[in-house]
Amino acid sequence: MESMIFDMAERLLRDHVTHRLREDAAAGQCPDALWTRIEEAGLHMALVPEEAGGFGVPAAEALGLARIAGAHGLPLPLAETLIANAVLARAGLTLPGGRLTIAEGAGLRLERRGVAIHASGQLTVVPFARWADRIVTIAALDGTDHVLSLPVKDLTLTPGQDLAGMPRDEVAVDRDLTEADAAALPRSMGGMRGLGALVRSLATAGAMETILQMSVEYANDRVQFGRPIGKFQAIQHSLATMAGETAASRTAAEMAADSYDTAAFALTVAAAKSRAGEAAETVGALAHQIHGAIGYTQEHALHHFTKRIWSWRDEFGTELEWSTELGRAALSSPQDTFWQFITDSTAQGAPA
Amino acid sequence: MTLTAFPPPPPGADHDDLRQEVRAFLAEELADFPPEKRAKSWNGHSRDFSRKLAQRGWVGMTFPKEYGGHARSALERYVVSEELLAAGAPVISHWIADRQSGPLILAKGTEEQKRAIVPRIAAGELSFCIGMSEPDSGSDLAATRTIATEVEGGYRVNGTKVWTTYAHVADYMILFCRTGKSEDRHGGMSQLLVDLKTTKDIQISPIIDMAGEHHFNQVIFDNTFLPADALLGEKGEGWSQVMSELAFERSGPERFLSSFALIEEMIRVLRQDATEAQQAEIGRLAAHLMVLRQMSRSVAGMLNEGKNPALQAAIVKDLGALFEQDIPRLARSLISRPAVPGGRDSYAAVLAYTELAVPSFSLRGGTREILRGIIARGLGLR
Repeated sequence: MESMIFDMAERLLRDHVTHRLREDAAAGQCPDALWTRIEEAGLHMALVPEEAGGFGVPAAEALGLARIAGAHGLPLPLAETLIANAVLARAGLTLPGGRLTIAEGAGLRLERRGVAIHASGQLTVVPFARWADRIVTIAALDGTDHVLSLPVKDLTLTPGQDLAGMPRDEVAVDRDLTEADAAALPRSMGGMRGLGALVRSLATAGAMETILQMSVEYANDRVQFGRPIGKFQAIQHSLATMAGETAASRTAAEMAADSYDTAAFALTVAAAKSRAGEAAETVGALAHQIHGAIGYTQEHALHHFTKRIWSWRDEFGTELEWSTELGRAALSSPQDTFWQFITDSTAQGAPA
Repeated sequence: MTLTAFPPPPPGADHDDLRQEVRAFLAEELADFPPEKRAKSWNGHSRDFSRKLAQRGWVGMTFPKEYGGHARSALERYVVSEELLAAGAPVISHWIADRQSGPLILAKGTEEQKRAIVPRIAAGELSFCIGMSEPDSGSDLAATRTIATEVEGGYRVNGTKVWTTYAHVADYMILFCRTGKSEDRHGGMSQLLVDLKTTKDIQISPIIDMAGEHHFNQVIFDNTFLPADALLGEKGEGWSQVMSELAFERSGPERFLSSFALIEEMIRVLRQDATEAQQAEIGRLAAHLMVLRQMSRSVAGMLNEGKNPALQAAIVKDLGALFEQDIPRLARSLISRPAVPGGRDSYAAVLAYTELAVPSFSLRGGTREILRGIIARGLGLR
């Protein structure tokens, strides 16, 4: 998993994503200078296949960038741009450069108007839309998934935000798209909802690793009753529980990342989003309990991370939606036993 | 933070051909094995079944061929283990020997010990039990009092072991005891190989558990003579030897599949007509299971590479016990059908059995409290 691009990203984000930068972003200031560095490092292209201009990084490794972006609470659409470029490349559309974001296309209607495709409808809770150059989405036309690349300047945005103060905008779409901005997907990638759920699961795991580390450090430093609170068994057990939930979420998200673009993805991503969403509840609650009142303040960094993992539960399908989908698949599966369903659902290697 | 990283199992870990062979074998062998017996999970006992399994080459799979093993990978063994557990096969007769006693003897035993014992484990003929807990030494293993005093030609052993699972049928015990004094709380401990069938002055008496079953025993050593060649590994190194067994003991699929018979019964009942809320709960269960299995297979991969993932194993066991203990509650929240011990309805009978079994899941093999202490230390709490 450790590679050059990964180390570079880790260094870049560690040096530049400060508490101050997260504060400013939550107050509405886009960290443009940091994005320039990210582009210079080429991180935004990591998930693009080599033949389409990428660097041939294995997909699971490229997706690891979403996890470390989460670990640093990066207030920029890096994960979104990774996915957007990969989807555009798959559809054979030009990679426009710049900040991209992704949106579920369920609220869009597509119809042919001459040579153009007319798109109309609403995109809701679009991450960082007002800071992005383009929104990439997938919607169906004549029963086939089509990728759309929508320039933000031509769209009507209604600003909104998530619990962490990150832009989550509503976008009204009503325009004709030429073949430069719309194309059929030759092979399904599971829709933007699944791809979004994948990067949110990875980011949740990364943010939880940071939350866990902050909590361990706090428990070692904070002295009460004459000793660090981390000496108390009750605190130790809370931290152990957080470690278990964090490890499970990371394993779940990486299992989905490993099956990116294979037949197993539909079920592994459902498991990942469901598991990470559930863990976000426990990990956030225990972290705040351990930190006491200081962790409930603006000045402490903890809230940037707990708010993010709580927000991400609701994006690209709640854990309830994904659990229901997974449960429906299990209960209606053709396999004789539940066990066969489980082993088949994580089987390696079958292409999509 | 490496503690929360579980690398994916290596490519090819599915071993689909092997899995299908095992499934076909189980379908035939267990055709008439009812759900309420499957509910006993790995506590089910059948020497006959273990022997048949061994004839197929599925006991001692990872042992070297020169000791009767099959030189297969930890991941191939994993496939067989999880298929056995998912089917509720009666495996306890060979389970402990295959999982940890055999590997321990191979790692630490003398050439004579290896030749005398390991091939018979691989043949499914030997059953092992673990002599660790004592009346005053449960989670606090270092408080062990049983003592082996050196005498001419061997040792005299005095002390009492408790909660010794299947000691009443086992052929051997690996006894953890004191062999000397030490300043260090963990020093002066050794492991001794006890032949339960031939050694005199050992008294084994049953302890019936709250489910009414006889798994536990009390084992009293009353001036028991053990020959010098009973020593397993280094004298005084018992503590570190025991610790290196734990990753094998704690990370396997038996740490989250103990309630699996009830899961299959639940799914069978819900399949006909599930509401959306029931689907969501089953999906949540599936997500947990898929992830636990991936974590456990990851540990098998690490073991296969010769690493000692004791911390990751503690995480798997802690999460696994929470999962398998939660199944009766989940069943009750989804299906309104009373538990009936020994009932004709297999769902009701399996629920009743499982309700009484689950309290033990976070006690055996290291209590929840011990595991969380280990994890906390691994996190760097000072």
